[in-house]
Amino acid sequence: MKRAIVFVWLLLLCGRHLDAQQDTPPPFPTRPEPSAKPSAPAPAIVPVPVTPPRPNGKIQNSLVRITVTEAEPDYKAPWNAGGIQRGVGAGFVIDGSRIMTNAHVVSNNRYLTVEREGDPNKYRATVLFVAHDCDLALITVSAPDFFKNMTPLKFGGIPELESTVSAYGYPIGGERMSVTAGIVSRIDFQLYTHSSIDQHLAVQISAQINPGNSGGPVMQNGKVIGVAFQGYSGDVAQGVAYMVPTPVIRRFLKDIGDGHYNGYVDLAILYSKLQNPAQRKFLGLKDDDRGVLVTTVVAAGPCAKILREGDVLLAMDDHPIASDSNVELEGERVEFPEVVERKFKGDKVKLNIWRDKQPMTVNVELNTVWPYAIQGHRYDVRPRYVVYGGLLFQPLNLDLIDAYQPTDLRIRHFFDYFVLEQIYLEHPDVIVLTNILPDPINTYLAAYRGGIVDEINGKKIRKLEELAQTFSETPDRFVVKMIGEGPPLVLDPKQVEAARERIKTRYNVLKEQNLEEQPAAKAPQDQNKI
Amino acid sequence: MAPVFAKKEPALPAPAGVQKQLSLVRVNVTGQPYDYFRPWQKKAPFSKRALGAVLPQGRVLVTADLVANENYVELERAESGEKIAARVEVVDYEANLALLEPVEKKFLDGLSPLELALDTVVGDRLAAWQLEPTGALVVTEGLVTTVQMMHYPMDVGQFLTYRMSIAMQYRENSYTVPLVKNNKLAGLLLRYDSRSQLLDAIPAPIITHFLKDVKTEHYRGFPSVGFSFFPTRDPQLRSFAGETGKPGGVYVTSVEPNMPAGKAGLQVGDIVTAIGNNEIDPTGNYVDPLYGKIEFTNLITSHAYAGDALALKVQRDGKSMQLNVTLEHRSTQDYVIPPYNLDQPPAYYVLGGLIFQELSRQYLKEWGGNWLREAPQRFVYLDHFQSELFPEGHRRIVILSQVLPANNTIGYEDLAYLTVTKVNGKEINSLGDLAEAVRHPINGFIKIETDEDPKQIELEAVQVAAEAAALQENYGIPSLQRLE
Repeated sequence: MKRAIVFVWLLLLCGRHLDAQQDTPPPFPTRPEPSAKPSAPAPAIVPVPVTPPRPNGKIQNSLVRITVTEAEPDYKAPWNAGGIQRGVGAGFVIDGSRIMTNAHVVSNNRYLTVEREGDPNKYRATVLFVAHDCDLALITVSAPDFFKNMTPLKFGGIPELESTVSAYGYPIGGERMSVTAGIVSRIDFQLYTHSSIDQHLAVQISAQINPGNSGGPVMQNGKVIGVAFQGYSGDVAQGVAYMVPTPVIRRFLKDIGDGHYNGYVDLAILYSKLQNPAQRKFLGLKDDDRGVLVTTVVAAGPCAKILREGDVLLAMDDHPIASDSNVELEGERVEFPEVVERKFKGDKVKLNIWRDKQPMTVNVELNTVWPYAIQGHRYDVRPRYVVYGGLLFQPLNLDLIDAYQPTDLRIRHFFDYFVLEQIYLEHPDVIVLTNILPDPINTYLAAYRGGIVDEINGKKIRKLEELAQTFSETPDRFVVKMIGEGPPLVLDPKQVEAARERIKTRYNVLKEQNLEEQPAAKAPQDQNKI
Repeated sequence: MAPVFAKKEPALPAPAGVQKQLSLVRVNVTGQPYDYFRPWQKKAPFSKRALGAVLPQGRVLVTADLVANENYVELERAESGEKIAARVEVVDYEANLALLEPVEKKFLDGLSPLELALDTVVGDRLAAWQLEPTGALVVTEGLVTTVQMMHYPMDVGQFLTYRMSIAMQYRENSYTVPLVKNNKLAGLLLRYDSRSQLLDAIPAPIITHFLKDVKTEHYRGFPSVGFSFFPTRDPQLRSFAGETGKPGGVYVTSVEPNMPAGKAGLQVGDIVTAIGNNEIDPTGNYVDPLYGKIEFTNLITSHAYAGDALALKVQRDGKSMQLNVTLEHRSTQDYVIPPYNLDQPPAYYVLGGLIFQELSRQYLKEWGGNWLREAPQRFVYLDHFQSELFPEGHRRIVILSQVLPANNTIGYEDLAYLTVTKVNGKEINSLGDLAEAVRHPINGFIKIETDEDPKQIELEAVQVAAEAAALQENYGIPSLQRLE
């Protein structure tokens, strides 16, 4: 499910990148007592337990500490490789010699190493699969004996509310495993802040989770029931941590079964609850607390031409949808998009709908919905851009917004309403003149900064590739019309050509354009151990 | 005699007995703004204390923001504390000027009216006049650093402004501080930033324009011409626009269809090279005999009046032509989203708990000083781009601003900030349209359609009527609608 409105932020994600603290000892070198149960005043004779009460077994045999070196793209100087950062996360071994962790632990990585308890070596690791939309990843180590003495963990189900869970990881950069315990506080849909656009089921737990816990297992009765991934910073809320629950994990593992991660499918509709009696009566619905109203059908989504605004969804795959938008799934009441959440690209979903006071049944073949992508964070891709005459043109997306923090109302509107107002139909790339590298040929053009390209020489520019193609021609002049009122931007290709090398050299522009979001080049994978 | 301020001479201390010929009165105003979040009520009243500059013919000049939404205005003699009620004769919120009249003219007897000093230029020293609680004059001197066109608080067009560097002291009367040169009124305080010690003043030429307009039968307001422009410093743009002669003029980027320039035939892409005999340079300045280079809009706001004819010299596709423009004042009512709405109650319509209003900047300003960032961004966008989004004009934007929980609005409680497009199938271009459309339910239902989700909202007409009285009682709403 995609977040409907873009500007309601869930604050702060999981802990990332604590470079400074990486080599400092944890502030409180505490010696955790094994599962410290405050023992009640005991009778005189207490049988000594044979094993300490560690219900989850020896997790050290399954846990790894992941050190990542990543290069975060610089959207303000997109020709550069980006700033190098280091961070620490956790991971755990599962079947098939694989290590599960969070996507945000390994995203944009240039070099990955893992360590295990009681082994002085660092092992080179590589990413097998990464799912940015649900913040999960699988990595592996090719050193032959690495997995030999490690115990793969098994997955459990959704834990009961109020049941006790333990979280394992390397919070605030420490080198030894840390355990925290808590209870299951809430099971609900949550925004996954790694992408900042996807909402999935998440389980809130009261166990302390801090930077460095990311990717670590959350265990109950010896089984993994979640992967710790995000929480609030202390000044927003305390004791609120989230884990990726096993339905999301199982979906990820199934999706990669064919060797490729397709990602979540989405109905790409917006709906509203149907709790108003007059509205129900108007729609001709019975007073049976069922149905939600379809309010927007995204044209680029799978329901386009199948559903209409004003339709009422009564059931999905024969699960009745209540008027508060919940369905019952395996005994839990969850929002009805959860039915689609568990499906895959190409799967069908059956919808019982109510249209013009008549029941109907339709089937929708599910697919991923591309226009949402610009509203979420992107990883493992190179920023797309074109530099022409010292003018930097970039397609609008969340990373661009984060880098420039524009206050321009038009840019913000185009971003917020890209999907809802179907801006993508006319402008699949919203091309912004984000910056100007000053040079005599553009010295009068400062006022055009922040403009959105509409046409060049009378031709609509829909994609960055078209902009690059147009600029590769040599007409007498380019007349760039920006969206809205304002003068056209006029450029003389001959002058631009004459200034080209000068601008490239002066601003160290290594490459004048990048049109493909091809995965960033990976470091050679010849060495497994350092 | 009041203190004299000549150029480069230090201010003389006021000689004893100066009060006898004082040119200032205190002005006490009780204002009560309307509450746009509860449009049927006014906010709590509050008082402002200010100074007024005494002008000839028994009138007192103050800034308009002092008397906005006033309930009661009173003048007070500084030296004696004697008070009298006053009425607002004319107010112009765009130029931020208002003229007061005591109910008895003789109240001002013994005060010496101020004449206007129109010749202030950069480098002049002006004195800010304030009063001590005793009525004694407090004089602070400052330097005029720039004279240029700036936005006034209502942000409707730009006006001539003096910017001064001055270290003002706080006195209880911070509104309407007169700025004086050689005993003559040179300007009124518009705004002051105590950190940078910069003061912007409404200059005497704007005050003169206002007073001259007041003398006419109906106050018209400052004229506007109705086009936006861009400098033509860029040789590429000049060449594209077909300008071949010597550099000069401004590039027309938009023309309001129902405004003077549009009526006279000005087009986007034209280059306006002169107004009357004043040539415009590529930056948009003309050479003013007093100030030197200053933006050409000063020729319109300071020097011309609504109804005047102006000749625009225009280059179109390399050809010169002349357009004769008859200037008009653009009333706030002529905007799709009015820029301000003061002294008048806001219109609203409450339907079963749904509150409908017309979108205005006054409503957006309820979000406070940072309204541009904090008010609903979709509405801020509509306001900002209104001329582009609604070029046809002649309409209002009706919004569903909030929902009062009631039996009729169960399930609708979280709706807010929606733009209404249709009611019962009729297009809605004003609150009046909505009130009319509501009277014609379809099969007993009132159907409201909105631009944003949920797109449709239904109420049962009979239920709405049946619960109207209870809704009024419960939420203390004296009347469920106010249309004008």
